[in-house]
Amino acid sequence: MDGAAHILRRFARTTIVISVFLLILNFILLGVWIFKGMNVEQSPYSLVQTVAEALQASSNGFTLKKEGEQLLEQNSAWVMLIDDKGKVIWNRDLPISLDRSYSLTEVAQFSRNYLMDYPVYVWEHAEGLVVVGFPKTSMAKYQFNVPVGWVKGLPFRIVVMVLGNAVLALLLSLLIGSRLIKSIKPLLHGIYSLAHEQDAYVEPKGVFSGLAQSINHTSLLLRQKDASLKARDEARSNWIAGISHDIRTPLSMVLGYASELEESPAVPAEQRQQAAIIRQQGEKLRSLVSDLNLVSMLEYDMQPLHTRRLRLSVLARQVASDFLNQGLDDRFMLDVDISDEQLQVKGDEKLLIRAITNLVQNSIHHNPEGCQIIVQTSASSDGRSCRIIVMDNGQGVAERDLPDLLKLPYSSARRRPVRNGHGLGLPMVARIAKAHQGQFSLISDEGQGMQAIIELPAGSCSEQT
Amino acid sequence: MEDLKHKKVLIVEDELEIRNMIDRFLRKEGYTRIFCAASCQEALAICRADKPDIAILDVMLPDGDGFVLLTSIRRFSSMPVLFLSARGEDEDRLLGLGLGADDYMVKPFLPRELMLRLHIILRRVYAAPVVEQLPVFRLGAYIVDLEGAVVRSDQGEQALTAKEHALLVKLYHERGRIVTSDALCQAVWGDDYFGYENTLMVHIRRIREKIEAHPSSPEHLITVRGLGYKLIVTEG
Repeated sequence: MDGAAHILRRFARTTIVISVFLLILNFILLGVWIFKGMNVEQSPYSLVQTVAEALQASSNGFTLKKEGEQLLEQNSAWVMLIDDKGKVIWNRDLPISLDRSYSLTEVAQFSRNYLMDYPVYVWEHAEGLVVVGFPKTSMAKYQFNVPVGWVKGLPFRIVVMVLGNAVLALLLSLLIGSRLIKSIKPLLHGIYSLAHEQDAYVEPKGVFSGLAQSINHTSLLLRQKDASLKARDEARSNWIAGISHDIRTPLSMVLGYASELEESPAVPAEQRQQAAIIRQQGEKLRSLVSDLNLVSMLEYDMQPLHTRRLRLSVLARQVASDFLNQGLDDRFMLDVDISDEQLQVKGDEKLLIRAITNLVQNSIHHNPEGCQIIVQTSASSDGRSCRIIVMDNGQGVAERDLPDLLKLPYSSARRRPVRNGHGLGLPMVARIAKAHQGQFSLISDEGQGMQAIIELPAGSCSEQT
Repeated sequence: MEDLKHKKVLIVEDELEIRNMIDRFLRKEGYTRIFCAASCQEALAICRADKPDIAILDVMLPDGDGFVLLTSIRRFSSMPVLFLSARGEDEDRLLGLGLGADDYMVKPFLPRELMLRLHIILRRVYAAPVVEQLPVFRLGAYIVDLEGAVVRSDQGEQALTAKEHALLVKLYHERGRIVTSDALCQAVWGDDYFGYENTLMVHIRRIREKIEAHPSSPEHLITVRGLGYKLIVTEG
């Protein structure tokens, strides 16, 4: 399934972007927030340096300059000056608990660590060593002892770490993503099936059980709707088939007795002529009923198609010959114009002949003063479809009325009532074209003649001759 | 031929009026031995007892359909059957003919057509077998003998080739009507006829040389431009 792979790719990409973003954010936070804390107050080393520089020998011992005192007070720190012998020769606020002299060992110890738990910092001074002590538990002292090799390898290690993070993020995202896809896949499949009007069933389990249930429900609804639509169409079609069937029996009697009267020598000539009219009208009714039935079957997809390969030229010649053989009035000129003998469609011969016949009949019917009618076959420029065009140079139909001609008579979609004829002819052609996956269109305007075009998908036009 | 009117005809039709109407027309036509049935049961009983020579069957009957009835009849009788049905769909027509019916007519029907079709079936099944003779007809100064496959004239006799003969048979059968070149090719070369149009023209020209006084301006076998050919025979 293409969709799943696509989603997985997107997911992995997004995850990597997010983790890289997080990594950068963390570095920034680390720098800004954590290390900032260390520099917020003055570092103890700079403090002790300032104090050492502010301490100067004077006539009566030592004096501490104002800035040194301020700093010490701010940090509640004490200070002492130890001479070379280890004796405290000056101090300020030195806690009483502390010794007044220190051995070399003690000095070495506290300079690194604490003096009686006081964090202390030392700085050299002309007279000895300045020691500043901060209140207990106010400072933590750490020693970093790092080999030079380690420091040199640090950039490499950082790069490896970042890369490792990226790879890990990718792997994790793929793992999580593929598990997600695994649970989404049935849902995707279900939705695709729905889109293709197939039944969908997704086993409702896991996180997406709610979604799965909705898909199943939708599938069920669609199926029910489909079935009820089909049932309704079938009912309508059957209804019309039933009516046309029921009309046939009484019509048989009308036709039967009318034609008997028409032929009976015992009946006066005038009445025989009237009987002939009854018979002719009965026959009209007969063809109307069967047309109605055919249109209804086509409308509701109930008409079975007996398709085979047909050459359009054969159909065109057949229809034209039939019209001429039946005695076409001299007012009409009927010609065929075949551009390519080999144009083929897959279709139902009877229905297609019926469609072309209807079109020619239509031209004859609407041009009582006569006209020229041409049945033309041609292929579309891309060779994908074939056309049967019936055109006349008669009076035509106003362009705005054309769409009406394809609607079924008496349907609400039709704006104007049928003028003459039963109005089933052109709608029937449109439905025959539709049943062949083709389409039917009309081009005309008042006084411009009429062009009726049946366009059908080509059934491999160029086969061996 | 008159003895065909003495054949026993069975009408199976549930509508009383239609039954009476057919009965009436048959009697008027000269048939005398007519049996009527309104259901499959009745029809089968009559078939067994009276052994009719031909049956006109309706498809929709109160106790079953005509197709089933025909199947039952076929178990013991091979009499010809003509369906007369209000169901006009191709499926029904094909089903009926496929079951071995001799004809299938759709209501509403013209009584004359029913009588003609009935008569054709009876003649085909019961009339003394006549050897089907191909016609001999006159075209101007020429006499076309399709049976002997020759054209006779004052100049003597010219034989027709098999293809020319087949074309003339088809054209004569549809005489006075346009026969499309497709239909002609199909009659001669069968369903795979595509591509023979030029050959057809050659054959037509040869036929004209045999039956026309002026082959280049034909009077009998004329070309209908774009469609096909027409054979004009003045009868008598």
